[in-house]
Amino acid sequence: MREVAILGVGMHPFGAYYSGKSNAEMSLVAGLGALDDAGLTFADVNAAYAGHIFATVMSGTRIMKEFGLTGIPVQRIENASATGSAALREAYLAVSAGHYDVAMVLGFDKMTTMIQSGTAGTAPENMEDAILPAGFFAMWATRRMHERGTKPEHLARIAAKNFNNGAHNPMAQRQAKEHITPEKVLASGMVAWPLTRMMSCPIGDGAACAIVGTVEMAKKLRPGRPVVKIVASTLQSERYERGHIFQGPVVGPARMSVDSSNAVYEQAGVGPKDLDMVQVHDAFVIEELEYYELLGLCKTGEAEKYIEEGAFEIGGSLCAVSTDGGLIARGHPGGPTGLAQIWETTLQLRGEADKRQVRRKNGDLPRLGMCHMMGGGSVCVIHLLQRA
Amino acid sequence: MPDTPRPRQPIKPGFFTVPDDPAQAPKLLGTRCDTCGEYFYPRRAVCAKCMSRKTSEVELDARGTLYSYTFVHLPLFGSTNMEHADGYGVGQIDLPEGPRIQSPLAGKQAEFKVGQALEGELAVLRDDGGTDIMIVRFRPVGEARQ
Repeated sequence: MREVAILGVGMHPFGAYYSGKSNAEMSLVAGLGALDDAGLTFADVNAAYAGHIFATVMSGTRIMKEFGLTGIPVQRIENASATGSAALREAYLAVSAGHYDVAMVLGFDKMTTMIQSGTAGTAPENMEDAILPAGFFAMWATRRMHERGTKPEHLARIAAKNFNNGAHNPMAQRQAKEHITPEKVLASGMVAWPLTRMMSCPIGDGAACAIVGTVEMAKKLRPGRPVVKIVASTLQSERYERGHIFQGPVVGPARMSVDSSNAVYEQAGVGPKDLDMVQVHDAFVIEELEYYELLGLCKTGEAEKYIEEGAFEIGGSLCAVSTDGGLIARGHPGGPTGLAQIWETTLQLRGEADKRQVRRKNGDLPRLGMCHMMGGGSVCVIHLLQRA
Repeated sequence: MPDTPRPRQPIKPGFFTVPDDPAQAPKLLGTRCDTCGEYFYPRRAVCAKCMSRKTSEVELDARGTLYSYTFVHLPLFGSTNMEHADGYGVGQIDLPEGPRIQSPLAGKQAEFKVGQALEGELAVLRDDGGTDIMIVRFRPVGEARQ
């Protein structure tokens, strides 16, 4: 097994473009950006993994032709919201095993097109699909409020944090023009009680790309720049426990995030206290609250206390979470979402995150970041990125 | 002459019964593992707990306790069939045999509380050329319990 590095990252800003931007157009910006960042051309790429959920069949292979026709293997990967993360994992496994030296991971999607065409997986004819994602995660919140006395204000504080982080991210879909307060989040209109519009991720479009290769290449291509290594990777599906819900496009038991995070901690020989920042699947804010505990950032039942202290803000006492705005503010087009987390974590570890730069208490650059995604069905995908 | 009852059929076969007698409650179509005894809804061929292939089809009473719930204020994509003005309720309900199911709720938000007893009923979703298309909804029974 070889050590694997992120050689380069690129993004097209997430946004609701409708017919204004094509997947190919956005992918070119993200992909060429990532190649430039790595110091490579497409001729250097040995294999490509294309992640998309909503785009039609052949989209991955056809869009890769925009970069060149070099005969390399091109493979589409799909795993719902975790599509981009799952695609990165395939590239990581292949480079780690020595099959390729350079692999390109491209994620793209246009959720606005999907909504307009009415070809969503959710159809009124399917009784089980009456439970939309918003409703499903709202039920997490209702249960949490029942068990722990969580208040909508706790949820609003998380959303406000993510909006304010996203305001410093040029790739974020929701660019707040003013400081966002919890009060504004609470007043933003109900989606599924108790989740409001600003506690829910937007519908949008975008593309993101990561170039994966060997650590030796990273050192050679960009001498002097910090090398960002993938030090752990896992993808887990559900394990049966009493109370498991089999109906609908749900996200699985809480145990998936516990088991998956334990797996990456073990692989890398680290613990949650070693993390400088974490990106999570905050499609709805209640998820981020639960993941604080499930990923071990704090103990069970302590999330609310730490939210009140601002412990998960950039510069907070525990660990910065959703530093690029998360799914709530940066956006969640589908295929590229997990790769946007890789983009953010790579820039942070290199010290290139500008106004949202995370620093350790002694002023040093961050060393270790986690990227956590859930995909409906369901799966949990986690990567740990570390500055060498 | 009494009116001939309108024909009724489930929105999707294989999930619940639609009894001929409109006064009767629907039954949920589940599975019981012959090897370990675990119950499942909806039906499945292989036990998810012990992976035994020896499973039996069972009919479960549509009643249980409310594990969690919400009222959704977004329309279903393309749907005009459900009432959205005050949101529509959906819940997760624990059946006494073990399965946790998801179902639309009948009633207003203030009527629901985590832990309360619910029972299922048939409701007409829409008229399909003279046939009533039926769904199961759950509504509160008795007092909320802790």
